[in-house]
Amino acid sequence: MGFMLTTLIFIVIGMIACLCTRICCNKGPSANLFHLTLVTTATVCCWMMWAIVYLAQMNPLIVPILSEGE
Amino acid sequence: MSTLSDTYKDPINLEVLRRRQRMRQKMAKHGGGCIPPMDLFRSEAMHLVQLIVPIESAHLTVSYLGDIGLIQFKDLNAEKSPFQRTYASQIKRCGEMTRKLRFFNDQMSKAGITRSSKSVARADMHLEDLEAKLGELEAELIEVNANNEKLQHGYSELTEYKLVLQKAGEFFKDAQISASARQKEISPDLPAESLATPLLKDHESSHDLSKQVRLGFVTGLVPKEKAMAFERIIFRATRGNVLLRQVALEEAVVDPTSGQKVQKNIFVVFFSGERLKSKIVKISEAFAVNRYPFTEDMGKQTQMITEVSGRLSELKMTIEAGLQHRGTLLRRIGEQYEQWNQVVHKEKSIYHILNMLSIDVTKKCLVAEGWSPKYATKKIQNALQQAAIDSSSQVGTIFRVLHTKKLPPTYFRTNKFTESFQAIVDAYGVAKYQEANPGVFTVVTFPFLFAVMFGDWGHGICLLLATLYIISKEKKFSGQKLGDIMEMAFGGRYVILLMSIFSIYTGLIYNEFFSVPFALFGPSAYACRDASCSDSTTVGLVKVRDTYPFGVDPSWHGTRSELPFLNSLKMKMSILLGVAQMNLGIMLSFFNALFQFIPQMIFLNGLFGYLSLLIVAKWYTGSKADLYHIMIYMFLSPTDDLGENQLFENQKTVQLVLLLLSLIAVPWMLLPKPYILKARHKTRHQDESYALLDDNDDSLHGEADRDSDDQEFEFSEVFVHQLIHTIEFVLGAVSNTASYLRLWALSLAHSELSAVFYEKVLLLAWGYNNVIILIVGIIVFIFATAGVLLVMETLSAFLHALRLHWVEFQNKFYEGDGYKFRPFSFALLNNEDESS
Repeated sequence: MGFMLTTLIFIVIGMIACLCTRICCNKGPSANLFHLTLVTTATVCCWMMWAIVYLAQMNPLIVPILSEGE
Repeated sequence: MSTLSDTYKDPINLEVLRRRQRMRQKMAKHGGGCIPPMDLFRSEAMHLVQLIVPIESAHLTVSYLGDIGLIQFKDLNAEKSPFQRTYASQIKRCGEMTRKLRFFNDQMSKAGITRSSKSVARADMHLEDLEAKLGELEAELIEVNANNEKLQHGYSELTEYKLVLQKAGEFFKDAQISASARQKEISPDLPAESLATPLLKDHESSHDLSKQVRLGFVTGLVPKEKAMAFERIIFRATRGNVLLRQVALEEAVVDPTSGQKVQKNIFVVFFSGERLKSKIVKISEAFAVNRYPFTEDMGKQTQMITEVSGRLSELKMTIEAGLQHRGTLLRRIGEQYEQWNQVVHKEKSIYHILNMLSIDVTKKCLVAEGWSPKYATKKIQNALQQAAIDSSSQVGTIFRVLHTKKLPPTYFRTNKFTESFQAIVDAYGVAKYQEANPGVFTVVTFPFLFAVMFGDWGHGICLLLATLYIISKEKKFSGQKLGDIMEMAFGGRYVILLMSIFSIYTGLIYNEFFSVPFALFGPSAYACRDASCSDSTTVGLVKVRDTYPFGVDPSWHGTRSELPFLNSLKMKMSILLGVAQMNLGIMLSFFNALFQFIPQMIFLNGLFGYLSLLIVAKWYTGSKADLYHIMIYMFLSPTDDLGENQLFENQKTVQLVLLLLSLIAVPWMLLPKPYILKARHKTRHQDESYALLDDNDDSLHGEADRDSDDQEFEFSEVFVHQLIHTIEFVLGAVSNTASYLRLWALSLAHSELSAVFYEKVLLLAWGYNNVIILIVGIIVFIFATAGVLLVMETLSAFLHALRLHWVEFQNKFYEGDGYKFRPFSFALLNNEDESS
């Protein structure tokens, strides 16, 4: 299913981003938690937006009706 | 259970009670303090420190503490007027020096000498040396200026004299001839140019003739505007018995008294008699006319001219030398100006702080109190030690931590990246000491909500390039002084960077590149029903493949049903994002004050969380249920059958349960908190009445603080407060959710504007097949895009994202009534000076 697969891809990308941040700027536990929060929030926001748009198009109730003279 | 009095008789139980009280306080402060510490989530732990500084090391101590910049001194002499304070004279001296420096600055700008921004770093100079130096430089400069002025005065006078000699000589001769001729004749015929018409003709002239007085004359310069008036008054006063000749000078002459260039006329007045002479002299004085002596003798005239010319050239050389001397003086000042300025400022601020310390004359020491973050303790102690050593004092400074119940200032340790986001939060209200900081999430959600309203990856790329340019020139811009608008854009460069990155992402999802869609992630899911596409304009296309994998399907753009589809999508997306953010807000309130968030969660999620669920369910199943209908009739007639609006099984029961829970949640929000606070207040009072017995020796402020915290607990006040809070939340749940629809509104506006510019400008210009029209069209398109979409829409979306954060997100948990930590720091002072 396209939805599940892409959600999985988002989770993987999120985890890779966390690891990268941890490798690049490791400044102590409290700073690391802060960076983790930022990356997680960003991943969740991006995933939510994609998921909403995807779900809306899965079972459409209206279809594109071309305008005259296309 | 034993009574309270029994408990207190037992020393071990007393300790238990104490510990329980401390833990309760800690819990009340931290809320759910079970998460590990996170940067920026709560403000730094602060404590009130007291420093006892010996007088000889006071100046040095304050100077070193200013370098560290981590103490906010409290003004212990607040009742005293500025003149009563200990170091008032020092501050006056600094004020004098500042005035002198300002004077130098004026002189330098008048002479057109720019001061170097980075001055030569000399060794530290002492205030007394600097004061003396500034004093003598000022005296010298004033002297040079006065001399210069005198010389200039003389120079312009001589110039005028020279002009008079030259011009007056020219018409002197023929004017004198005609005047003496007139004297001899008695005829009333007058030469045409002469304006000196006698009023009383015959009598006066015969009178004058009999006297046979020699002709006198007056020469000088009169300003052009006053020339006519001058002539008229002389004519009237002398009854026309003078001959006045004027000639205008072509170029303006520098007037000696005023120093300005004025258009002047040279005049010669011929008269006879002492009385007339005195009259004319008085009139010329009244008109501020410059009179110069003139000889009739031709030879002497030429001699005078050469003499005057010689003196003029001499004077000119002297003046030049004087100006050069002044120039070198000012240049020398200009080199050191910045450094002197900084030293004076620094000293002034140090004395300012020293004035805030309370002096203890008997013990010969100063007492300072201030807030400082706990992590800086070691640094401060090192600085104090260093100052004691450097000032070679006998005693070291004593560093003590005071315990107080006053609210400490809020201090967040931000770096250049998080600083601008924290500033956004602080602009609404500075966080209360150690309450949950929304800035942590604002770093991501603010650019994200901006991007939802801005979504176009073409515009996002433009913004990104602009921001990357600013960031690459960061060092250069931070040293310069920028204009107001540029200053704001520079300060928010990291915010705009994140905004542009998220905009690229949402642009890809909305599939808009300057409003043009691309099929970047695979083929579109829609196709014609049959090969001829005959009914594509009536019934429409049909979904033949899997859903377009990333974002909005490119087939939608330009169709007739694009707007109904996108509107429905964006409105529902706004609601979902809004409910998510509000839930986040309520969960943050858990960290501030335990357990009041449960009824709030139940209420919000019972209604709007349920709506979100319905939205997702409708999308997932593709049912045709009417969500408006469901929500409205859930309230109006909850027991009715749902019929075709049924989305899942037992929906009716679920709705009834949720409605009930929401109804219960309202009194749950209202009632428990006032009663709990009342009970807590009662127990706290009872604890403290016994704790006073073995009070350890706290600071002098300890008792004062305790008294101030023990306000009267007005139950009715707390109850009304909670009532307002509950009503606000209940009504706000509806209005705030609707407020998130602005995400839909602004993104619609953006895409429509962008589509208009693309279709009606660029495509129109393309359609003419003419190069010139195409170029004009492209230029108009670029300016319209930059001006309207990149500037106006950015500001608009910025503002609305800000409002969503400040109101809808933060009113769920944020109190924001703290005050900011303003430490005594030289670096901060310099920044303030530059900006002022």
